[in-house]
Amino acid sequence: MISTLLAISLAGSIAAWPLSKLFGRHAGWGLASLPAGLFAGFVGLATTIEAGGRISDRSAWAPTLGIEWSLRLDGFALLFCLLVTGIGTLVVIYAGAYLAGDSLRNRARFFTLILLFMTSMLGAVLADDMIVMFVFWEATSILSFLLIGFDADSASARRSALMSLRVTAGGGLALLAAIIMIGSTLGTYSMTETIARAPEIAQSRWIQPILAGLMIGAFTKSAQFPFHFWLPNAMQAPTPASAYLHSATMVKLGVYLLARFEPVIGQVPGGRDVLIAVALATMLTGAVQALRAENFKSVLAYSTVASLGILMMLVALDGPVAGVATVGFILAHALYKATLFFCAGNVLHATGLSKLRLMGGLGRFLPVTAAAAALASLSMAGLPPFLGFISKEFLFEAQIQSSWNAVPVAVAVIVNAVIVGVAGVVTLRPFFMGRGKVREVKHREVPGLVAAPLILALLGLVISLDSDWISRSVLRPAVSSIYGRPVELKVALWHGVTPIVLLSAIVVGIGALIFTFWGPIHRRLSTQSALHRFDVEHAYDGMLRALDRVAVRAAARVHHGDLRGYIRVVIAGALGFAIWGILASGAVPRIDSGTGAMNAGAVVIALTGLAGAVAATRSQSLLAAMIAVGLSGLVTALLFMMNGAPDLALTQFAVESLMVVLLTVMLFIVPLRAPSTRTPPERRWDAILSAAFALVMLVVLLDMTAAAPRNDVSAFFGRESYVAAFGKNVVNVILVDFRGFDTLGETSVIALASIIAWSLLGPRNALEARMGIRSGKAAFVLAFMSPVFFWLLLVMSVIILLRGHNEIGGGFVGGLTAALAFAIVSLARGVERARERLRLHPLTLASGGLLLAIVSGMPGLLVNGDFLSHIWIDTQILGVSVKQGTTLLFDLGVYIAVLGTVLSFLFGLRREAAR
Amino acid sequence: MTVDVIVAGRALWPVAIPLAGAALSMLVRRRQLLQRTVMEAAVVLMFFSAVSLLASLDPGQPAIMKFGGWGAPFGVTFVADQLSAALCTVAGMVALAVAVFARADIRARRRRAGFDPLFLAMLAAVNGAFLTGDIFNLYVWFELMLVTAIGLMTLDRRRAQIDGALRYAAMSMLGATFILIGIALLYGEAGTLDMADLSRTLAGHPPSVALSASAYLLLAGFALKAGLFPLFFWLPASYHTAPISVTAALAGLLTKVAFYACLRVFVVIFDLTGLPVVAGLPRLLALIAGATMLVSVIAAIAQADVRRLLAYHVMGQVAYLMMGLAIATIYGVAASIFYTMHTMLVQAGLFLCAGAMARANRGYNLAAAGGLMRDQPFFTALFAILALSISGVPPLSGFWAKFLVIDAALRGEGPWDAWLAVIALVTGILTLYSMSIVWTRGFWRTPDDERRSTRRIPGAMLLAIALLAASTIGIGLAVEPMARFSRESANQLQARAVTPIVEGVTR
Amino acid sequence: MTTIYAIVAAGMFGCGLYMVLSRNLVRMILGLSLLTTAVNLVLFQTGRMRSGQPPLIAEGATTLGNSADPVPQALILTAIVIGFALTVVMAALALRAYRDHATLRSDEIHSALDLGDSAAERNDR
Repeated sequence: MISTLLAISLAGSIAAWPLSKLFGRHAGWGLASLPAGLFAGFVGLATTIEAGGRISDRSAWAPTLGIEWSLRLDGFALLFCLLVTGIGTLVVIYAGAYLAGDSLRNRARFFTLILLFMTSMLGAVLADDMIVMFVFWEATSILSFLLIGFDADSASARRSALMSLRVTAGGGLALLAAIIMIGSTLGTYSMTETIARAPEIAQSRWIQPILAGLMIGAFTKSAQFPFHFWLPNAMQAPTPASAYLHSATMVKLGVYLLARFEPVIGQVPGGRDVLIAVALATMLTGAVQALRAENFKSVLAYSTVASLGILMMLVALDGPVAGVATVGFILAHALYKATLFFCAGNVLHATGLSKLRLMGGLGRFLPVTAAAAALASLSMAGLPPFLGFISKEFLFEAQIQSSWNAVPVAVAVIVNAVIVGVAGVVTLRPFFMGRGKVREVKHREVPGLVAAPLILALLGLVISLDSDWISRSVLRPAVSSIYGRPVELKVALWHGVTPIVLLSAIVVGIGALIFTFWGPIHRRLSTQSALHRFDVEHAYDGMLRALDRVAVRAAARVHHGDLRGYIRVVIAGALGFAIWGILASGAVPRIDSGTGAMNAGAVVIALTGLAGAVAATRSQSLLAAMIAVGLSGLVTALLFMMNGAPDLALTQFAVESLMVVLLTVMLFIVPLRAPSTRTPPERRWDAILSAAFALVMLVVLLDMTAAAPRNDVSAFFGRESYVAAFGKNVVNVILVDFRGFDTLGETSVIALASIIAWSLLGPRNALEARMGIRSGKAAFVLAFMSPVFFWLLLVMSVIILLRGHNEIGGGFVGGLTAALAFAIVSLARGVERARERLRLHPLTLASGGLLLAIVSGMPGLLVNGDFLSHIWIDTQILGVSVKQGTTLLFDLGVYIAVLGTVLSFLFGLRREAAR
Repeated sequence: MTVDVIVAGRALWPVAIPLAGAALSMLVRRRQLLQRTVMEAAVVLMFFSAVSLLASLDPGQPAIMKFGGWGAPFGVTFVADQLSAALCTVAGMVALAVAVFARADIRARRRRAGFDPLFLAMLAAVNGAFLTGDIFNLYVWFELMLVTAIGLMTLDRRRAQIDGALRYAAMSMLGATFILIGIALLYGEAGTLDMADLSRTLAGHPPSVALSASAYLLLAGFALKAGLFPLFFWLPASYHTAPISVTAALAGLLTKVAFYACLRVFVVIFDLTGLPVVAGLPRLLALIAGATMLVSVIAAIAQADVRRLLAYHVMGQVAYLMMGLAIATIYGVAASIFYTMHTMLVQAGLFLCAGAMARANRGYNLAAAGGLMRDQPFFTALFAILALSISGVPPLSGFWAKFLVIDAALRGEGPWDAWLAVIALVTGILTLYSMSIVWTRGFWRTPDDERRSTRRIPGAMLLAIALLAASTIGIGLAVEPMARFSRESANQLQARAVTPIVEGVTR
Repeated sequence: MTTIYAIVAAGMFGCGLYMVLSRNLVRMILGLSLLTTAVNLVLFQTGRMRSGQPPLIAEGATTLGNSADPVPQALILTAIVIGFALTVVMAALALRAYRDHATLRSDEIHSALDLGDSAAERNDR
């Protein structure tokens, strides 16, 4: 039922975009039917509520997270729903007339936003699951942001919008934290259940943060001190939005939330005190600022802040009357404040004036507006027989009944007096006094502009005269739903002369004085620099500036451009991780008991390699450094050779020699002299860091080698290599069969690298591609011998490839060797020659090789259902049984890909060198 | 017959299709239209293969591909459990969006420079990393990612791109070195490379120097590639230089793969909570996550260039993933999984938005941007959705991701978890802060010179962004399936229900 | 003997790191390739160098006798080739960078740093 209403509201607000364009000038009246209809719907439900019932509506949303889509309509929610939809209706009508001058698109945007806001507001007060409530809560913040910044071209509008978003959304996150904490303590997100189990939360260890979160959320939303400053700025919004969001409905969400949680707050010692303190601060701030303010709308805004403070205080007070007062004040304030905003809008619209000082005698031009303003102000001033009077009575009664000392009463008296003064100032001065200040207005009143204020203002009178229905079926249920049990309340205009009436009289008296001496008071306060300096808004700006400064500094630290600096931190970080990990695990290094027999030759060779590495770090010339690095590479190859890894040795040799060839080409181009790029202290620190890392590595290696190896996997390979995979060179069998897929991945790395060579070193455009490359001069011997070398190496590479499966060799080494063959040609006769020899484009080779390798895996998939499981066939060649398999295809693919890639780099580098 | 093969290879296709496509499109590189067609076809096929793989799985029953017919722990295996399959699917969505966007963004010169094969190969590597059950194989895929990323970054051969790629390559190679050493030590201790076999072998392993070093060097390598404090410098130094389609793909995929590797390695191999070898890990992870969040999101505020700004948010978001892992409970891991899928989509989407903004505003600089709400309402809405999602505003996927992480943190046992939650909230506010700056400068404000209106945004771009925006809304509204899914996969991971070890040979 | 090899591997590793920290691009690249070599040595030691015999199945035999551990060798083969490819790619990048910026000093190359830095870009124009 309720969900349906909500769904209708949502659908309607989305439809408003096209519809408002359809309706054109009269969109206001047309679209008003949506909120009006909803209003009727809620009125229809009122009877159920009145009977003490509560309509709830639940269905699963995210059971895993304990979140369900549950709504409930009780008295308090109903009050808000009626306000939201009722005032919403008037706002839409009003906006239709107010924005008549705007572009069609702007109007459409406004209606959509305002109706979406209405929807989320309804959702927020209807939701029982607090996560659902939070969803709508945040939605109201976002929509308020969009509405405040509606006039996006004005810088101040954008600033105010951002301000409100940052304050309210920030508070929203605090609220979220509180909700999650409640959820993880109680295991439920249902608000009803939470309230019911109030004592339980009050006992939990999270109670302080929970309350803090709830309050921050509520304070930011309801513009309580010290978060109040966003509300006056929010007046940048178009007046209809100000009337709706920033006085009547949204800003009361915080009050709504805390009123709901009042039982919980009451359970916690000091909970009420905090609320009272904040409320009083808010009231006073609002009152003082209202006296200082210049603009019609900001005066209203600050008086709203003061009123919100009063509401917050009423929430904090205990006793049933407090509840009555809260509800009554919410209603009364919504009615008269919205009216006054409408009037302000009319004045702004008709005269373009915003400063109160400049207004006067407008009653002549805007009679109806003036009347509405008068009615509203009387209610605001709390004079009988208006609703404001009744609510103020309840306010004072609640204070006197509550177990509280006199301070709040005093503050309340003063603040209410100021509000009386404001009521006078915003009505009598602009409309009835100072005739002649305004000579003429842009246009007279139109029905759309006066309907809303008049209706609301009259309601403020009618309700108090015949308060029967409203108090029976709205106020009482609302009170009892926040107070927890049925409350008897009788709304009457006059209960004889009580101390409360006297208080009211005092208030009105002071208010009158304030009004009379408005000028001097206003001048005095607005020139008071102390008040200006301690304005919270400055603190906000200061925080933002500080944040920006910090941000700039942080960005400069993270992105400063010195590569060495980056790498230093990276290495240090990794080293730190490792050390921390080893220490935290509390492991002690294992020491190898018996070191194996020392082999003097091996030791010498090994140390030569180390020496090479060290030399590389010392050398001032890049050429020398390259040779030194190459040396340690070759030594590594030797070590492989000596320890039963001929395949590795072969590959390492080939790689090293190719590396030398390629890097040499690069060194032709760049300056060889490379004086140190680091200051001595930098070098020292780098040395220390590297040494430290090396040391850790050493310890780790010794520790690992000291442990007994687990080699059942490699044993398996040894067992099965020939029996199941028909290969005698276990390493090669692992490469092409057991772990062939690694090889495939690696082949793709190689193949793709060739593209980079092409895009980085290749010709930039067709013209460049066409122009040949002069071949560099080469040693006569090399030039003479190159064909021999070429064919020799090529044949060798093919042999290496073919016999790889059973003897030393394989695709990689083969490819590298073949590449060497071409390298020699290109060194001797230039790239062009080499490419003639090749005929094919290197990239074609690389990609073809990769494709071949992939395809060679498919037969296995087709036959055995396992990719890369090789198929073997026996062939009789010259009477000799030769066992061949798809492994050969695979290895061939690798061979070709490697060849292609190396060549693409070789040619690319040579071309670059020749440029 | 063919059907049987397709089913038998279902765990293979998400990798084989793009890889073959890469080779093919490289082969036909001279015919650009054909090349592009190959790429797009491969991406679509890959996406559907991933979807069908996910659909074909029944819980707790991974699909296995035994390469060469050698079962684990001897051969390399693909183990497509629900998590892997789901991530492949999400990656497929990102790939689709980027491929669509590329139609408008990747011009002839970039295609000639090899966008199509590089992009496909990168996708193959990503899926390979998601699917593989062998840690050395994982390393190989990371290297393929690195190479292809370098190629993609330098498509235009611009000075800045070369510079950025250099820094990226240098640091990533260091990271790869750390990873390789970690793997070597792992093999040296356990004598096996299969992840499931490793976790079985290491269960109850006494603390050992080599093993701890291995774990933390792996962490260093993966943290570097994921862009986490203090190893993240390569990311802001390079991301903004690449063509925007590429940046979107990198941001959406690579850093997340690195985090996924952490998930596998530290939850499955080094049973995060159980193994004494990694006793100090949660504390370290918490530190890393917290520091990364704060530093990156604050640094983002100082940026005037959309790409740079978003690059910092990439790091900030990855930090949330790491936070989930740091909490080291089932809730934490589930949150990370959910967050990963969300952030892959949204991050890519935001970078694509940046591309569209640049197209409309003739540049990435926010100072010169503006007028988009006036001229491009649809695009404005799309951006708003994605920006709100990354800021964690309900009911978008980003909200649930943050909700899960914070919820997990508050349920966590560690004393620092509550603080992580606080940091996460603050980071959320600051993220919203920086997004609101982009909004007001780029979309609300009209450009300084009134005459200049924004340029039209191609339909392909809008379509690509809309795809991702729709996904974040969809996940947000129908959150239950993904929430349950994350919970289940987290359970599977923690129960280490990964590979059933297939002994022996199937010949 | 293992101790010696460990020392050599660790030493090479340290030297590699030291060179990688240099601001000269080419020296950095050489450092990276040195690192690759060192890591290969580390990988090699996971086989504990238990024997000098290559892992070839002897003529007539069907299973592998006493020999070096073949698995690390296979891994190293893969690693070598990948390392080779990456080093060459780095070389190509460095060469481009040198052509573009006429310097090998990484701290004098800041086109990426300037890109999108509005202040710096204004200075460019």
